[in-house]
Amino acid sequence: MASQNMDPAAAAASSTAALKGSESGSSAARGSVTKRLQQELMTLMMSGDKGISAFPESDNLFKWVGTIEGPQGTVYDGLRYRLSLEFPAGYPYQAPRVKFVTSCFHPNVDENGFICLDILKDKWSALYDVRSILLSIQSLLGEPNNESPLNTAAAELWEDQEAYKALLHSNFQK
Amino acid sequence: MEETVMESESVDLAGSTSHHQVAEAWENVTTALVSPGCLMTEQSLSESLTLLSDQGLDRLLGSWLLETLQMRLSSCVVPEFWSGLKQPENELDERGRAWVLLTAFRTLLGQLEPFLCGLEMLGRWQDEGRGSLCGAGSKGLQERAFTIIRALLLFSPSPVLQERVLEFYSRTFTVYMNQEGEAEDVAEVSEGPEGGGFCRGCGIPTHQCWCQEALKQLQELSHILSRLQLLEWVSSESVTSILHKLIEQRMEQHCRGEYERSFLLEFQEWLELVLGWLSKVFASEAEKDGPTLTPGAPGAQAGPPASSVLKQWRCHMHQFFCRIYVNMRIEELFSIIRDFPESKAAIEDLKFCLERTNQRQQLLTSLKSAFESRLLHPGVHTSDILTVYISAIKALRELDPSMVILQVACQPIRKYLRTREDTVRQIVAGLTGDAEGCTDLASELSRGDPVTLEMQDSDEEGNDPKDWTPDPTDAVPDKMGSKRRSSDIISLLVSIYGSKGIFIDEYRAVLADRLLHQLNYNTAREIRNVELLKLRFGESHMHYCEVMLKDMADSRRINSNIREEESRLSEEEQPPLSLSAIILSSEFWPPLKEDKLELPPIICQSMEAYTHRYEKLKAMRTLSWKPHLGSVTLDVELEDRTLTNLTVSPIHAAIILHFQDKSSWTLEELSTKLGAPKELVHRKLALWQQHGVLREEAGGRYYVVETGSSKEKMERGVMLIDSDEERDSNTTTQSEQREEKLQLFWAYIQAMLTNLDSMTLDRIHSMLRMFVATGPVVTEMDINELEAFLQRKVMEHQLLASSGVYRLPKST
Repeated sequence: MASQNMDPAAAAASSTAALKGSESGSSAARGSVTKRLQQELMTLMMSGDKGISAFPESDNLFKWVGTIEGPQGTVYDGLRYRLSLEFPAGYPYQAPRVKFVTSCFHPNVDENGFICLDILKDKWSALYDVRSILLSIQSLLGEPNNESPLNTAAAELWEDQEAYKALLHSNFQK
Repeated sequence: MEETVMESESVDLAGSTSHHQVAEAWENVTTALVSPGCLMTEQSLSESLTLLSDQGLDRLLGSWLLETLQMRLSSCVVPEFWSGLKQPENELDERGRAWVLLTAFRTLLGQLEPFLCGLEMLGRWQDEGRGSLCGAGSKGLQERAFTIIRALLLFSPSPVLQERVLEFYSRTFTVYMNQEGEAEDVAEVSEGPEGGGFCRGCGIPTHQCWCQEALKQLQELSHILSRLQLLEWVSSESVTSILHKLIEQRMEQHCRGEYERSFLLEFQEWLELVLGWLSKVFASEAEKDGPTLTPGAPGAQAGPPASSVLKQWRCHMHQFFCRIYVNMRIEELFSIIRDFPESKAAIEDLKFCLERTNQRQQLLTSLKSAFESRLLHPGVHTSDILTVYISAIKALRELDPSMVILQVACQPIRKYLRTREDTVRQIVAGLTGDAEGCTDLASELSRGDPVTLEMQDSDEEGNDPKDWTPDPTDAVPDKMGSKRRSSDIISLLVSIYGSKGIFIDEYRAVLADRLLHQLNYNTAREIRNVELLKLRFGESHMHYCEVMLKDMADSRRINSNIREEESRLSEEEQPPLSLSAIILSSEFWPPLKEDKLELPPIICQSMEAYTHRYEKLKAMRTLSWKPHLGSVTLDVELEDRTLTNLTVSPIHAAIILHFQDKSSWTLEELSTKLGAPKELVHRKLALWQQHGVLREEAGGRYYVVETGSSKEKMERGVMLIDSDEERDSNTTTQSEQREEKLQLFWAYIQAMLTNLDSMTLDRIHSMLRMFVATGPVVTEMDINELEAFLQRKVMEHQLLASSGVYRLPKST
């Protein structure tokens, strides 16, 4: 891995080996996490859900990049949001850290992209997976929880959908 | 020459002896030299010689004699010889022509004989130093004389000579062979020499046979030629071409198409016979080279075969033989390979001869093109190609233990097999002994001491370095090196695709098919095959197959358990039909075909009951049924007849069961009821129509035929319904699997490009390798395959490629 002059295929192979090594080497728990994540990736690939997608960022299976499209029929229709997902070593017993990378004007998302979603906090369960997280976030876009907003301005504006949409789209930057 | 004469004249004048005396002495000596028959006393000859040498003229004698010879030759002898040879053109029979040939040479000898004697005499004088005579000596003189003769005679030989000589030699050859080989030939040809009234030696009616005469003539001609030292010049060419022709002829007659017998010894013997004839042709030559030098001794026996000329000819003949044999066998090699191992003898002969000629390249080229033109085209069934390939492996490893020929010549076959879709299936069928007529592989598999496929990948080769031999020069330089040049049939076949995974998968599919088709839990044969394959492919690769076999055993147990439980129930609780199930661990079986089929409620109930019992037996597990797989044994009771013990597929049974409740159905109704497409139902109905249970009437309605008349039966017999007896495979085919795999990969690729924007081919490849969980269905994708796949997607506008980077098109 240290050498620059390596055939990429070989490098990939060695990194796979490294990955596999870490599976078996460090701890059995980590190995099972890798396995679970791989399985989740497979499930996500096979599900073919529209508008949600995610993939490991590099050869590290614990860091993913996600993409969510705004649900149809909502003000977010036509917008694409990039997210980052980080899985702790204790996954799936600990919730993954999920945040927006694309800035998102939304009552439950703060300026740093942190999301206020119950299933990512106290309601987390090992039965959830990447797919359900992404679907939840996608539906959150259209149905914000205005009881406990992180972005009060957005929460207040939500009532006026036309104005909200105008502001949302004018400020949207990829 | 001129100058010397001038000089000698000046010497002449200076001498004291008179002109007259010198002239007389010169006359005497030259006459004695040119006409040896003349009566001249030794005394006077000696005196004349002494006189001449006193005058210094003795040196001129040799030159004079040669000059005279030359003059004579060019002025009359040579033209006479040629015209004598040509004269009776087209008017004579063979015998006459032979006689003319001999006469021409006789005349030639007759005319040259005096000179030769003179030369000898002069040489003798010079050797003896008689009269203080000096000169080049007999050897030198003779050499020069013969050179002159050859030069003048054969300067522009007419083709007639060659023709005649060839003809004559051929004839004497037949005559000789006929005499010598009589014992052998009589056995071959039932009619003896008298049978047809023709002598088989000279080919004319027996009473005119001139065999003996021909042999005598041969002897004489040989003597004349050797006397004139023309033998080599006149005969060699003819003899060579005769030998060529005869060996070729004999080979055509005896060996062509005959591969089961070795011909080496036979030819060896025959060639010895031919050598006997050669010894007659070169009789005098042989004598000369013999230990005792007795020139001109008549009636001498043929020299011992050890003589150098004959030795040389024997070498030539062997060379001819090997070359001609190799040529013929190369031409026939394809057939020889096809007939292997019956043609083993031919291969061994060829091996022997090939080592003695330089024709490996020719063999390779010819064999390759034979394969291409005779084997590798769409008209040949894959199993036939495999059979020939296996034969080729067996034959060529016999022919060339270095395996180079095998490797090079079979390259096209391997390449071609890769393009055939059913290759893997055929090989696997062969391995399991399912293929008809191709038992080689099965027996190869069960052979003791199998070569483990892993073994060959390792660098460790147990060979003694001393046993190493260099590769032949025509070996293909590859990085594998010679140790990888395996001759093991199975490993060669498996390596066609470079990976054994594909074979194991195919075997799994075949195994699944067999297990699912026989439905009797009997796995003895499959267990044996799996064990044998384990020896080849290693335990770990056959794990899935082992689970499959275990499933069968478990199923049998569970089934009998459940049946027993059922039998203990009271009469009313008994299930309406007895159900046996094969329970598969879906993870380990190849994907099964998914066909939709709604079974009638009564069957569903039985299945539920079965499931229920299973769940009780195996906690935490349940069954998911594949209603379309399996078989049903049923009786059909009609008003006037009963069809018993019909074994049909579930869909057939479901169809007929529906007719129990209602005697007429339309295709649409049945199709909705069964949840199966109309075409399928239509096809399946055909079976019942064939059995005469159902009939189709106008409007696409089907009715039960409760009473069948014999007349209808007749019609039925004639009725051609496309029956669906094709044995559908229960497992998905290879190409379907491949398609599925590609679909999965595409999902991954789309996802990674969605989230990571753009990626290079290598990056995509390594990502796939890392994150796609490979299993029995999903095998890794080669980078080239991936590139081709991505290229296809680009063509379909599902992907953009620019400067080596792939991205998804902007979604609209």
